[in-house]
Amino acid sequence: MKHILIVDDAATVRMYHRSILESAGYLVDEAINGVEALEKALNKSYDLYLVDVNMPILDGYSFVRELRGHADIPQAPAMMISTEAKMSDQIKAYQVGANLYIIKPTRPDILLNHVRLLLGESSI
Amino acid sequence: MTKPIITDDDFLKFQEYFYRKTGIQFEYSKRYFVDKRLVERITTTATDNFRNYFAMLRFQASGAELQALVNSMTINETYFFREEYQFRCLVNSILPEITARRNSSDPIRIWVIPSSSGEEPYSIAMCLLERWIGIHKWDVEIISSDIDTKILAQAAAGLYSDRSVKHVPKPYLQKYFQNTPRGFQLNDDLRNAVEFTRINLMDAAEVRPYRNFDVIFCRNLLIYFDDISRKQAVETFYDALRPGGFICLGHSESMSRISSLYKIRKFPEAIVYQKPGDGL
Amino acid sequence: MAFVKNTPPTSARLATQNTSDGLPILLEKLHHSLAETRRWAARDLLAYSSSTGALIERLKIEPDRSVREIILTSLTRLGGTVAVKGLVECLRSEDACMRNEAIAAMKALPVEVSPIMDSLLIDEDADVRIMAVNILESLMHPDVEKWLIHVIELDLVINVCGTAVDLLGEVGTKDCLTALLSLKKRFSEEPYIQFATDLAIKRISKG
Repeated sequence: MKHILIVDDAATVRMYHRSILESAGYLVDEAINGVEALEKALNKSYDLYLVDVNMPILDGYSFVRELRGHADIPQAPAMMISTEAKMSDQIKAYQVGANLYIIKPTRPDILLNHVRLLLGESSI
Repeated sequence: MTKPIITDDDFLKFQEYFYRKTGIQFEYSKRYFVDKRLVERITTTATDNFRNYFAMLRFQASGAELQALVNSMTINETYFFREEYQFRCLVNSILPEITARRNSSDPIRIWVIPSSSGEEPYSIAMCLLERWIGIHKWDVEIISSDIDTKILAQAAAGLYSDRSVKHVPKPYLQKYFQNTPRGFQLNDDLRNAVEFTRINLMDAAEVRPYRNFDVIFCRNLLIYFDDISRKQAVETFYDALRPGGFICLGHSESMSRISSLYKIRKFPEAIVYQKPGDGL
Repeated sequence: MAFVKNTPPTSARLATQNTSDGLPILLEKLHHSLAETRRWAARDLLAYSSSTGALIERLKIEPDRSVREIILTSLTRLGGTVAVKGLVECLRSEDACMRNEAIAAMKALPVEVSPIMDSLLIDEDADVRIMAVNILESLMHPDVEKWLIHVIELDLVINVCGTAVDLLGEVGTKDCLTALLSLKKRFSEEPYIQFATDLAIKRISKG
């Protein structure tokens, strides 16, 4: 079973994404910011990261940048989720090494489609 | 007044909030433990019910109630070899790395704060003597500090109860302590291994001379500070450390609630935090 | 070897930290080439409440995170309207790191932030409004719930409302139930809003 780490400071958003992902059969862990996410990623191998942009202590871009540069964390796709829709944000996401950048709020079917695609589970 | 009731939703609200502030997650199995203490705090603060208490807790500018709550929810006991896995980490992982890249014969400096009654710095001294081969090659300076002068005097005196030495391996107990009618007396050699100092970590002038440490142990102290003081403390530690120096927090503490300045290092024994250094 | 005591600081690489540096020297050191020197300057400027302007200006251009963090700590300790005005400018930064650092600092300045909360909640930039709601999370003010109700009644942007609903689930009373139900109707096609409002309503009704 695939393991997904949800990185978001909003408890309700984490709960929402958790319910969508668990009902699709994924195992889910949570982190409330980029530092906690790095700590969890050092302890467990994740197949996918769902990363909010705006978080205290360590924001989403910084987390993905650290993740990509970290020798001790196995690499996995990172999907960034944000309230912000500026082109510059999208570009920045790809610059730090994210695989996808989507806008909140997410819809269950669309989120799951993106997740499956990044996990290589699509039928295409 | 009827005894306040904590509903499932109240517990969830508390759980989420406490986890966000401290990183400590109380599972549902801890209901009895948590509910009892919440009721105690509600009664002490005369807020009558959970909703009023929670509103007060969340919005109190001083943060005093949050600190009182943290105090009541965390077990605050010190004894020799507490959280021993970190001492193993020191000896097996941290010190070998530090000494490998050390290009001078300067002493290895370790800061233990708070000293409390001394169990922690003395445990470290014992571990270094008994388990670290490098002790034969390197000078070590252990400084241990506390804001409370009474407890510092107690630490310097080195007299301990049965409870305190419960986890000391028997050979060490025989070698480093004398069993007296007043308690277990640490011998002079070990008492002299640690320098005790009084310090208020929040006082910029007092902390200024604390520099060039290779390792800082700051376990189960920051959890009792408010957010801004915790941040200030780890920023103080940042410049108290040499580049590449390490800091160990308590087992239920994490930099994730405080700061992203430190590099997270996972060793076999523990996760510790490292100040970025030249070439790191 | 042995346990030793009282060894002096041994690194010769340290810039000297002169504890009696006056304000002009500290302001200069705030722009020094060494991050360590800038950190100590930012710390020592805590003694000068008039330095908030200079600290804000440095914050905006400071590339080193360790220096920024100490500048923010000093600003938070000093407080004042100059500090908060500067932090609001940082909210509009293109840099996510800077924005989130500013939010954290503003959360710790309830006295200065409360008077400007009204204007932040109607800022023309939806992202600023979201950040303002975020800051409400730790603001001690009798109007917090009222502000949140206004947001979910009037704000047109779904994510601003979503952020407000999260917080209402935690701090809301029965006073906001009507507004929550209206929001549910307004965004009836949005699964996240349905989820979040249902959760908030459940928590408020049971409390």
